[in-house]
Amino acid sequence: MYRYDAVDQLIVEERVAQFRDQTKRYFEGTLSEEEFLPLRLQNGLYVQRHAPMLRIAIPYGMLSSTQLRMLARLAREYDRDYGHFTTRQNLQLNWPKLEDVPDMLALLATVQMHGIQTSGNCIRNTTTDHLAGVASDEIIDPRPYCELMRQWSTFNPEFAYLPRKFKVAFNGATEDRAAIGVHDLAFELSHDENGDVVMEVRAGGGQGRTPRIAPVIKQGLPWREMLTYTEAVLRAYNRWGRRDNKYKARIKILVEAIGAERFAADVEEEWQHLKGGIAQIADEEFARIAACFEPPAYLSDDEAFADVTALRLEHKRFDAWLRRNVVAHKRAGYAAVTLSLKRTGPAPGDATSAEMEGAAELADRFSFGELRVSHHQNLILSDVARKDLFDLWQAAEAGGFAEPNIGLVTDIIACPGGDFCALANARAIPIATAIQERFTPEQQEDIGELAIKISGCINSCGHHHVGHIGVLGVDKNGEEWYQILVGGRSDKKVALGDILGRAIKFEEVPGFVNKLVDVYLAQREPGERFIDTAERIGKAPFKAAVYPDKAVAA
Amino acid sequence: MTRIVRLADKRVRIEDDSFTVVAEAGAELPAAGDIIVPTADWLGRADEVKARTGRTGVWIGPAEDPGALAGHLDGAALIAIQFPKFNDGRGYSIASLLRRRYGWTGELRAIGDVLRDQLYYMARAGFDVFAVREDRDAEVAATGLGDFSFAYQDSSDDRAPVLRNRAAAVREAKIVRAERALTAIAAKHPDAAFATSLSAEDMVVTDFIARLKLPIHIFTLDTGRLHEETLGMIAETKTRYGIDIEVMHPVAEAVEAHVAAHGAHAFYESLALRKECCGIRKVEPLNRELGGRSAWLTGQRREQGATRVHLPEEEHDEVRNMTKYNPLADWSWDDVLAYAARFDVPLNPLHARGYPSIGCEPCTRAVRAGEDPRAGRWWWEQSDSKECGLHESAATSLESATA
Repeated sequence: MYRYDAVDQLIVEERVAQFRDQTKRYFEGTLSEEEFLPLRLQNGLYVQRHAPMLRIAIPYGMLSSTQLRMLARLAREYDRDYGHFTTRQNLQLNWPKLEDVPDMLALLATVQMHGIQTSGNCIRNTTTDHLAGVASDEIIDPRPYCELMRQWSTFNPEFAYLPRKFKVAFNGATEDRAAIGVHDLAFELSHDENGDVVMEVRAGGGQGRTPRIAPVIKQGLPWREMLTYTEAVLRAYNRWGRRDNKYKARIKILVEAIGAERFAADVEEEWQHLKGGIAQIADEEFARIAACFEPPAYLSDDEAFADVTALRLEHKRFDAWLRRNVVAHKRAGYAAVTLSLKRTGPAPGDATSAEMEGAAELADRFSFGELRVSHHQNLILSDVARKDLFDLWQAAEAGGFAEPNIGLVTDIIACPGGDFCALANARAIPIATAIQERFTPEQQEDIGELAIKISGCINSCGHHHVGHIGVLGVDKNGEEWYQILVGGRSDKKVALGDILGRAIKFEEVPGFVNKLVDVYLAQREPGERFIDTAERIGKAPFKAAVYPDKAVAA
Repeated sequence: MTRIVRLADKRVRIEDDSFTVVAEAGAELPAAGDIIVPTADWLGRADEVKARTGRTGVWIGPAEDPGALAGHLDGAALIAIQFPKFNDGRGYSIASLLRRRYGWTGELRAIGDVLRDQLYYMARAGFDVFAVREDRDAEVAATGLGDFSFAYQDSSDDRAPVLRNRAAAVREAKIVRAERALTAIAAKHPDAAFATSLSAEDMVVTDFIARLKLPIHIFTLDTGRLHEETLGMIAETKTRYGIDIEVMHPVAEAVEAHVAAHGAHAFYESLALRKECCGIRKVEPLNRELGGRSAWLTGQRREQGATRVHLPEEEHDEVRNMTKYNPLADWSWDDVLAYAARFDVPLNPLHARGYPSIGCEPCTRAVRAGEDPRAGRWWWEQSDSKECGLHESAATSLESATA
């Protein structure tokens, strides 16, 4: 993973000093609430329903065991002994004290971490495939590009006060595991006919109250021009994005208002002044950063491999775990393993300090001391030798991470919802728990891949628009109600789900989900996943099952 | 009269300002005095505007196109960009365009809701004058200009972007970080002591202490077996910096007893005897000097060898129960030499003769090309044992290593 040099380190240290001074001036009263707001937000600090919330950046989801131990320490010493991994691969602490935050950031700086631009109307933490660098279908490792974007966007003076937040994502694999179509700006990496890296650029995607799939605005962008082109996109957005209404301020509204073609043409014109300029990526700097992502000292495939067939027959749960939580790796002797943070009870993505330390230990023992955070809110050990899988499984079972449910109906994505978030209309976590409790392991296995995503409000942090089944919390006269969506997906065939009908009550949601699953079970053809069946039969049969009276009328 | 912050030639000045902003286009202009008019006036009634006595600047609003001014800026005393709210970022893009697209090199002024915490970004985007909001102190606001030493990306100021100048920036950043660390250590530990071996690294640390006039005590350990060249650095330090390095000696009886029992060259015989010799000549005098202090400093670097690859910048020295600082932990040998050349730091002449790491005369040899920098220390031993005992605490890291 990327390692800081003295410049990176000095920048985060100066950021801590700056924020310490700002916090002091805020408490002294020389910095108003309004003036402090964007400053604290750009350090990841929200003021939430019960307490401040600190969002810590995990750049493109990469985390060392040392860093994870520091997160555990912060959760223990400054919070309530747990943290929440988010759908944007970050970590949130829900109960810090405002006056402690400068000290927390100072501790984070000692392990090359920060809360810079994890919030506020600026360029946010870049995200990518949680299997970057190891995925068997990878064409180009996107992480050096992500890191270049991180550095270029950090304290970029022109784009610190954008109309609204701005999220950038990268994909370098055949499959899209980073949901890049629902980002403000997205880069898809490939090779051109000469073997040079080029990028397809999309702009104007997003979820929230106006969900949009980002249209392609540029093909074949040479990789060295990634930053000059980004500058052109951001300048157009900074100047022409709406600032009169925060609900219409995202770039997707601008792109839609003037049309993707016109937007692309405007950007292209601006870019003519920038391409080839000083923001062009220098080969030497790219090489320096790329060297940080060189593969670790792998064993040969023969040394790393072991036949576990007998163990699979003997241990049914190990077998299920291998099928659900372990995926192929670039190297035949290795595998990428998901540590599930989706056990029934705790909120999806929550981890206690002890669990974080346990995961750090597993990373040290089995995966070169590194982990990934996925936008599915799980942890991943990306480089496990196959001969270690059984030992890892036993250790993961002991640590509570071995729920064999990755991609299944209980691997639910959910935002913190009304239990924590000041913006939420409704709770998300208890809905997730109620759904999880409904399905036995055998039923889950039978149902197979099914992504349920729950947001407590239209801001869509729980990605409900792109869930195979989406659940959205809405407010009706101060009560919690929920809308149900079907047919969304965030893979290569990215699509937004359709709302099935009127909102339903909290208690009705699990039963509703059950009925939707039953439709699938009744109608599926061999080999079809829920989303395949939904694509084939359309939403009418699902609607008929859950709103029988409506279906008759229609 | 309003006070403004002006940034010129990297210096910050607070000045009284003579300009008045004409807020509305088409308004009657004062006959004399310096004014800043809206673009509509500047472009629409240029003759009238230019006929006045007094200087005239033009201000542009956040929704306006700076391209409209291009080619019409002759005679403009300044361009001002208006910020209706401090969190409205459009003015930064307008500044970028004026500086980089339209080539405006004259004064670029931020007016409106201009506050301390945005000044750093504004300066980077090309502003050089800041008309800080009237209810705020311009001098306090000006401190915001110094928030960061380095910037990753290019912009309209004269900073070299780190993404284009990494090696130079890293070297400079190491100096800044070492200066800050040493200043903080001196403030936190009034009794801190620096153990110099008179090597190049330690001469660099001495230079920092002298240049920053830090009250950090400097001492060295004269084992009785040092090279003449090494001992000569004590006088060099006095000449160059006016600093008297305290010289610690081993207990004479202990040295005599050791030599009587094992001979003058026992260190070649076994690791145990070598360590005993180091113990008498170095470790005991060091402990004597450090006794009762709360912190000590070294010039150790990670690059120096197998025993130091995980060296932290700050650690707890469990053996002596005090804090130990290694402010040059992430420095390369080239960083040390570059610093020495830049600040004219005197160096032990042995370094130029192939001795990157220098200990006692009988126990140090020159290293060959490609060898570990500490390969010449106790060269007959394995690389994992090559420490004298000064740094052999089971120190626990308080800090992760920076690369």
